[in-house]
Amino acid sequence: MTGAQALLVAAIAAPVLLLAACLWDGARRRMPGLLWLAPLPGLAAALLAADTTPLVLDAARLRFTLALDAPSALLLGAAALLWSAAGAYASRYMGRGPGAERFALWWLITLSGSLGVFVAGDLASFYLAFAAVSLAAFGLIVQDGTPRARRAGEVTLLLAVMGEICLLLAFALLAEAVQGPSLAIADAVAALPGSPARGLAVGLLVAGFGLKAGLVPLHVWLPLAHPAAPMPASAVLSGAIVKAGIIGLLRFLPADGALSDWGGILAGIGLLTAFWGVGCGIVQANPKTVLAYSTVSQMGVTVAALGMGMAMAAPGTGMAVAFYATHHVLAKGALFLAVGLAAGSGGWRRWLVLLPALILALGFGGLPGTGGALAKAAVKPQLGEGLVGLLAGLSAAGSTLLMLHFMRRLIALEAGGTADRPARGLLLPWLGLAAAALLLPWALYGAAGLGDPWEALGKDPVAALWPVLLGAALAAGLARQDRWLGAVPEGDLLLLTGKARRLGAACGAVAVRAEALLRAWPIAGLALMALLLALFGVMLAAAA
Amino acid sequence: MSGTTPGGWLLVLALALPVGGMLLAFALGGRTAERIALGVLGLGTVLAGMIAAEVYAAGAPLAYRLGGWAPPLGLRLQADGLAAAMLLTAALVLLAVALFGRAAQATPPGVQEARAPFTFWTFLLALAASLAAAFLGGDLFNLFVALEMLTFAALSLACLDGRPSQFRSELRYLFFALIGSVLYLLGTALLYGAHGTLDIALLAERAGADLPTLLAAALMTAGLLAKMALFPLHLWLPPAHAGAPPAASALLSGLVVKAAFVLLLRLWIWVLPPVPAGAGAPLLAGLGAAAILVGSLIALRQERLKLLVAYSTVAQIGYLFLMLPLVLAGDPEAAARAWLGGILQAASHAFAKAAMFLSAGLVAGALGHDRVAELGGAGRAMPMAVIAFGLAGLSLMGIPPSGGFTAKWLLLTAALGTGQWWWAAVILGGGLLTGGYVYRVLAGSLTAPPAAAPRPEPPAQGPERVALALALVSVALGLVPLASFGLVQIGRPILGGAP
Repeated sequence: MTGAQALLVAAIAAPVLLLAACLWDGARRRMPGLLWLAPLPGLAAALLAADTTPLVLDAARLRFTLALDAPSALLLGAAALLWSAAGAYASRYMGRGPGAERFALWWLITLSGSLGVFVAGDLASFYLAFAAVSLAAFGLIVQDGTPRARRAGEVTLLLAVMGEICLLLAFALLAEAVQGPSLAIADAVAALPGSPARGLAVGLLVAGFGLKAGLVPLHVWLPLAHPAAPMPASAVLSGAIVKAGIIGLLRFLPADGALSDWGGILAGIGLLTAFWGVGCGIVQANPKTVLAYSTVSQMGVTVAALGMGMAMAAPGTGMAVAFYATHHVLAKGALFLAVGLAAGSGGWRRWLVLLPALILALGFGGLPGTGGALAKAAVKPQLGEGLVGLLAGLSAAGSTLLMLHFMRRLIALEAGGTADRPARGLLLPWLGLAAAALLLPWALYGAAGLGDPWEALGKDPVAALWPVLLGAALAAGLARQDRWLGAVPEGDLLLLTGKARRLGAACGAVAVRAEALLRAWPIAGLALMALLLALFGVMLAAAA
Repeated sequence: MSGTTPGGWLLVLALALPVGGMLLAFALGGRTAERIALGVLGLGTVLAGMIAAEVYAAGAPLAYRLGGWAPPLGLRLQADGLAAAMLLTAALVLLAVALFGRAAQATPPGVQEARAPFTFWTFLLALAASLAAAFLGGDLFNLFVALEMLTFAALSLACLDGRPSQFRSELRYLFFALIGSVLYLLGTALLYGAHGTLDIALLAERAGADLPTLLAAALMTAGLLAKMALFPLHLWLPPAHAGAPPAASALLSGLVVKAAFVLLLRLWIWVLPPVPAGAGAPLLAGLGAAAILVGSLIALRQERLKLLVAYSTVAQIGYLFLMLPLVLAGDPEAAARAWLGGILQAASHAFAKAAMFLSAGLVAGALGHDRVAELGGAGRAMPMAVIAFGLAGLSLMGIPPSGGFTAKWLLLTAALGTGQWWWAAVILGGGLLTGGYVYRVLAGSLTAPPAAAPRPEPPAQGPERVALALALVSVALGLVPLASFGLVQIGRPILGGAP
């Protein structure tokens, strides 16, 4: 095992070991203060271990593989940074006591899965990590114990389990398609286009990962869950955890033209999601819900870029999409932290929150000079041409509109007194993360092989600027329409599930009554006789 | 035809030890019975481990001819991979239940001997003996005797509290089990008449797809299904398993139904020729699928915790039958996967369900009721029991890493590999419903108790630890590398090849 491979192991092992340490009372009591440490090995792995030789343990039997390709490294680094900053924020935000300790346990399980999906190299460990991040997030969402949080948690859990089922079936089909016993993701992806069940497998992968990434119509849990969780948990949910879906799509759907038909479908779903998120988001009153819908919209753009890359077989799509998502990890995570701060500070210090938040917010629309502008430049080869280019521009205008709406709702939060100073334990993670979201894309743009950032910025300034201006104009118009607030409930389409739920309850009642009938003696006796005869009959027929 | 192999004496010991222990406990009684039972079950675990190691090392089944007589005259004990794996599972669960029973079934201080504890410890040993006989027996009549002993030992444990409601539900169990026995016995008589032997290895050579064999197989299968409570023959199971004391419920749901299943496998995989077996298997698997879906759905709507767990058993038994059409599909690789998946399901369900019943019993004991809607506060009063329930639930759902996950993954890939995707749909749908009822219990017990509720009495730590340990084993089964389960393939007849 080389040093770089050891870092891959450490990325997963660190949160797991901290979790194990919680068996001791002393360690458990201190754990809320140590959460910021847990993702640091993951950060080191992202910096030092990208594109290292995959680590294969027990190649003959277990085939446990850890690997880190360049797009995954980019996302792993950003996610680790966000988890660390949010962990530091959580230490102050959650305080101490049994509630905070419980929160720390769920945090560590979710974290291990969240980082695990970036380094897992075989189907089994990827599935395990994905299950950990999907299911344990429930504990973060219901932390406050309110009925609203509980409902959000239940919807999330139900959909997460359905997503798991889709993926399990998809993985079983992939394992079946691979010649020989290998479970490596690379082999599975190579075998996918030629598999007889190709359509079904890809459909299941898109459903399972799309659910996590918040693709319409599977996004309904996201605007419920992200606002219900405590601030630091919302930050990692929206910033890092949804990326488990993105990395899944990135790694399992080859962008080399082998699945070009699915690329078009994915791009369509992505663009629909991008506009859907804007449309539902601009009528929300709660700034956290606005942010959650913005996540839906942004993930739509990300998936649209991936889909177009698959359709066009554009080289470098994986890296470009990962770069776009990386910016979202940092910026969206930071904005959630800002919501927690805006309410507790007053006077001039409030501008320490609002001003960086405004810059980050406008970055999502592609304001030139921000990290968001570079993110938009990165996916230009995929989303820059023709009708798709126009739609992408309109969605950027929508993002500007949505984020300005967010800023209005943020300012509308009750400010603290002029003397209220935000706690340093909250302020520093926020400022650090905001700075990272603004500056890191500049440093990473070249390193990701996307070219010179200055050149990218100078190219075609009109195309970069019109969405921002259009969005701002629309926002000014929207500002007078407060009566629309609350027109769409959180989780929009969930409204339609009432009928399905009643149908399910009716089915259950019928099953209960039917089963009670079967438990009557005469019927059970008849069933036994019928079974005997049926068995004898089919066996005789087969033998004859 | 195998004679006595090296290490065959271990099999005799595995059978003689609990029988001897039972007789001794019966004679000495009181607290000595408890000590004997604990000692014997501890030794039994070591012995089961040795048998498994011996079979694995030899790569071939162990066998012992009683008195040196060859079948059909003499009797044969044999341990192949299936028997060794199930014996080890049973030994571990029995030991755990015995440790759990040290608190609940202790002879009260100041008394020489009390009826309930005395019955518990002696019949626990009787159950161990009959399970060993059911796994190790080499001919169908011996297996029948073992199964009858098992039914009666299980009944006695289930009626331990002596409540009238218990007698009523256990009488239902007894009656239905007896119908099953009659059918089974008819079948053995037919087989003996046709082939002159009941030895499984000899029958495998002699039995063809002839009329008596097929009729016998149908009769015996129907009898075994009645004893296993496969849907729609499950009428007796929920009240019997839910009404028994927790330790007995754990054994009934975890182990007793599995003994009948091992017998069913012996009949279907060893004795029956592949063609009629392959034709009948989808019928059984179809009932299994119905059991999974209906059982889970009914469990989801139960208001009592123990009934919920009992219906979960109805559902989980269904998974066992899904392996039959996959093993018999004629694809050697898929057959190996399905075989391992089925046995792993039997083992992980044994651990998980025992853990579930024990922790449900602890929760019900501490709260004074087992209404699912009013479990609030249980999580705070007895976190270990609730965690045990949750971990066992994860294994039943098939969430990784757990034995249940590995089992379902193997069955799933075998189903897809043989083109029988509809079983895959059932496996996954069942997992979703299982998640639903596990969530109901967990969410209920993690809420805060109503302010007016009396503080539940926290139970003793020991039993809680036992439940947790069982749940952890069912999870840990999923962490064992698949290749080390080669054990269960030993001695399995390969279709189209020599047994």
